[in-house]
Amino acid sequence: MNRNLQRRLATGSNAALVAVIMVLIVVFGYVLLEPFRIRVDFSATQSSRLMEDTQNKLRILEKDAIPVKITAFSAQEGKKEAYFKNRQLQDLVEEIDYASSVVEAEFVDFDRERLTAENLGVTEYGTVVIQRGEQRVDLKDRDLFRHVGKGADRAMEFLGEASVNRAFSQLMANNTRVVYALVGHGEMNPESREPDGLSDLGKALDQEHYELKRLDLVRDAKGGVPQVPEDAAAVIVVRPRVQIPALEQELLLAYLSAGGPLLFAVDPGGVIPEIFGRFGVAVPEGMVLDKLLVFPFPDRPVPRYRNHPITEALASETLVTLVSGVAPLQAAVPPREGIRSATLLETSRDGWIERGGELKGGNALFQPEIDAAGPATMALTLELGRDSGLVNRGQGRVIVLGDSDMLSNSLLTEGPGNLSFGVNALRWLVGDDGRLSVSGRPSAVRKLALTEEDLGQLRWVVIGLGPLLAMMVGAAVWSSRRGR
Amino acid sequence: MKFVFTMWKKELRSYFVSPIAYVFLAAYLLIAGLFFYLGVTLTGEASLRVLAGNLAITQIFVLPMLTMRHFAEERRQGTLEMLLTAPIPLWAIVVGKWAASVTLCAIMFAGTLVFPAVLAYYGDPDWGVMLTSYLGLFAVACAFCAAGLFSSSLLDDQMAAGLIGAVILVPFWLVGRAEALVPDEWADRVRPLSLLYHLDSFNRGVLDSMDIYYFVAFTAVFLFLTFRSLESRRWR
Repeated sequence: MNRNLQRRLATGSNAALVAVIMVLIVVFGYVLLEPFRIRVDFSATQSSRLMEDTQNKLRILEKDAIPVKITAFSAQEGKKEAYFKNRQLQDLVEEIDYASSVVEAEFVDFDRERLTAENLGVTEYGTVVIQRGEQRVDLKDRDLFRHVGKGADRAMEFLGEASVNRAFSQLMANNTRVVYALVGHGEMNPESREPDGLSDLGKALDQEHYELKRLDLVRDAKGGVPQVPEDAAAVIVVRPRVQIPALEQELLLAYLSAGGPLLFAVDPGGVIPEIFGRFGVAVPEGMVLDKLLVFPFPDRPVPRYRNHPITEALASETLVTLVSGVAPLQAAVPPREGIRSATLLETSRDGWIERGGELKGGNALFQPEIDAAGPATMALTLELGRDSGLVNRGQGRVIVLGDSDMLSNSLLTEGPGNLSFGVNALRWLVGDDGRLSVSGRPSAVRKLALTEEDLGQLRWVVIGLGPLLAMMVGAAVWSSRRGR
Repeated sequence: MKFVFTMWKKELRSYFVSPIAYVFLAAYLLIAGLFFYLGVTLTGEASLRVLAGNLAITQIFVLPMLTMRHFAEERRQGTLEMLLTAPIPLWAIVVGKWAASVTLCAIMFAGTLVFPAVLAYYGDPDWGVMLTSYLGLFAVACAFCAAGLFSSSLLDDQMAAGLIGAVILVPFWLVGRAEALVPDEWADRVRPLSLLYHLDSFNRGVLDSMDIYYFVAFTAVFLFLTFRSLESRRWR
C-alpha cells in the first residue's frame, strides 16, 4: 500500500469516526436531556396544559404504580367534524402520555387497526378505552364531544379531559355509593331522558362511582315501615310538584338527624317542602332576575359564584352555570343556633326579586316599590351541628337550590359549569370534599365566519397575489439588470 | 463573524440577482396559498395547523432544491478550490451559505403573513399558536437547509445534489408513518426520530425543549458533516 493511500485511509477513517461520534453525542444528549424536558404553552387557552385536578389524579396513579392504558380510537373519516375530533383526541392523548410515566396513551386509527379494536371489543368509532388492572371505563363519542348554540352559532366542544378525568376517578374509587332521588310527588325522574329528567346527572354521577337511584318512600316500603335506605349516601329532592307528606318529611329529618345529607331543588311558585322552616330557609315570593343575563333568555340570570369549596374551581375556570327561572332563597338572619349557612350562587348587584309590575319591551323591570333589590341568593348550603337540635350524629349537610332545571337534562350538559356544579355539590354533600374539582373545561374550535362569496374572493388573494407579486419583482430585477 | 456576514451577503445577492429566488418564491407562495385555501375550505378553522403540517413536508422536497447550488455550482464553475483556499475559515463559508438559505426561507415565510391577516379578518385566531407554528416552520427550514447544504457538498451535479438532499430528509418524515409497523416497544424509540412528531407541539402552541433540541441538533449535525465533507477535499 503506498503512503498516499495509507494517509488517505487514515484521515478518511478519522473523519468518519469523528462524524459518527458527533451523531452519537447528539443522540446521547437527547436521552440525557429528556428527563429535564421543559414545555411552555403559548396558546391563548392554555389548551395543552392539563387541569390541576387531572394532574393530581395522574400523580396519585403514579404513586400507586398500577399501569393505566388509554386507547383512543379515531372518529369515522369523512364524517362531519371527524378532523377536529381526531385532532383534539390526539392532542389530549399526547398530553396525557407526556404528563405521566404510568399512563400509556395511544391514538389508534379505527379503520387501519381493526385488530386492536376487536381485541378490546370496541365497535364504535371515537371510543376511548381506559384500563387499569382489571378495571375498565369506556368513553363514547357523546361523552367526549357536545354541541352548543343554535343555527350559525352552533359549535362543537371537546370535553375529553373532563371525561378522562372522571374515568380516572371511577378507576381509583373502590366502591360505589348510592344517591337516592326522591320520587312520588312529581319530582324529576332520575331515569328519564326527557329534558326534565335527571338521566344526564345519573350518568355523570355514575362516572364518579355514585349510583343515582329512585326512592319512593311509601311504595319501596312494600307495606313495611317506610325509611330511607341504610346505604343512602345522600337523598336529593328535585322539584316536587305536590307537598311531600308530613310522614315522609319526618323520615327525611330522621335521615338528616343520623348524619345523612340532603339536597333540595325548588322552582319559583312551586311546592316548598315544609321542613325548610326547620332549617331556617325561606323562599320568598317572586323570581330572581338580573340585568346580567344569558341572552336572549330574560329568566336566565348569570349566577355569581360565592366563595365555597363547591364553587371555588368553577370560579377560577370562569365556567358559567346556567339556571332558568330561579326562586329566591333566604337564610334566617340571624342564623339559627347550630346552623351555618353559606351562599353558593347569587345575582349581581343589578339583580332583583321580580314580583310583577310593568314590562319594558317584553322584559321585566326593577321597580323598587314592588320588587326586592338584589343581590338575590339562588343557591345555598347549610351545615347543621348537634346544637341545632336537628342532628344527632356527625354533621348534617343540606344544599338548597332555587332552580331545578340546572340539574336537569335540559341544562346540565348545556351550561359549561352545570355538570361540575352538580357533581361538586354531590361530592360536598357526601363528604368527598377532596374530590371537588371542575368536571369540564371544554375546548372549542376557533371557526372562521366565511361565506361562499368570501371564499371566492379569498381564493385569488391567497393563491394568486403572492406569486404574482414575486414574479413581478423578479421581472423588474431581471429587466433592470438586462438593461445594464 | 465578519467572514460569515460577507459570505451571507454574497450568497444572498447571488440569489436575488438571478431569477432563482423569485421563481422559487412564487412557486413556494403558490403551494402555500393552495394549502392555506384548502385548509380554510375543508376545516373552516382560524388556524394555520393544516398549512404548517403540509408546508413542512413540502419543504422536504423544496429546500434541497434551494441549497443544491451552493457547492455544486461552485464546483461546476471551478470556483470552489478558490473559495476553499481563500483566507476565510471553512466554518464561516458553511455557516454563511446556510444562513443565506435560511434568510431566503424567512423571506418566503414573510410572504405567507397574508394568511394570518386573512384569519384575523374573518375570525379570531390564536396568535400564540400562530407564532409557534411559524417558529416550527423556521426550525424545519434551518434543519433542512443544513441537510441540503450537506448533499450539495457531496456531489458535483446540482440536480443530483438536490435529489440526494430530499432522499436524506424523506426517512425523517416516513419514520413517523412507520411507527404503526414496528412493535410497540420499538415505537417509543423510533418516534423521537420523526420530524412530524417534533413539529406537532409547535403547531399546538407548545414550545418543548426536546423539540428545540431536535432541530438544533439536526442542524448542527448536518452543518458539521458539511464541514467535514469540504475538509475532506484537502486530503482526498
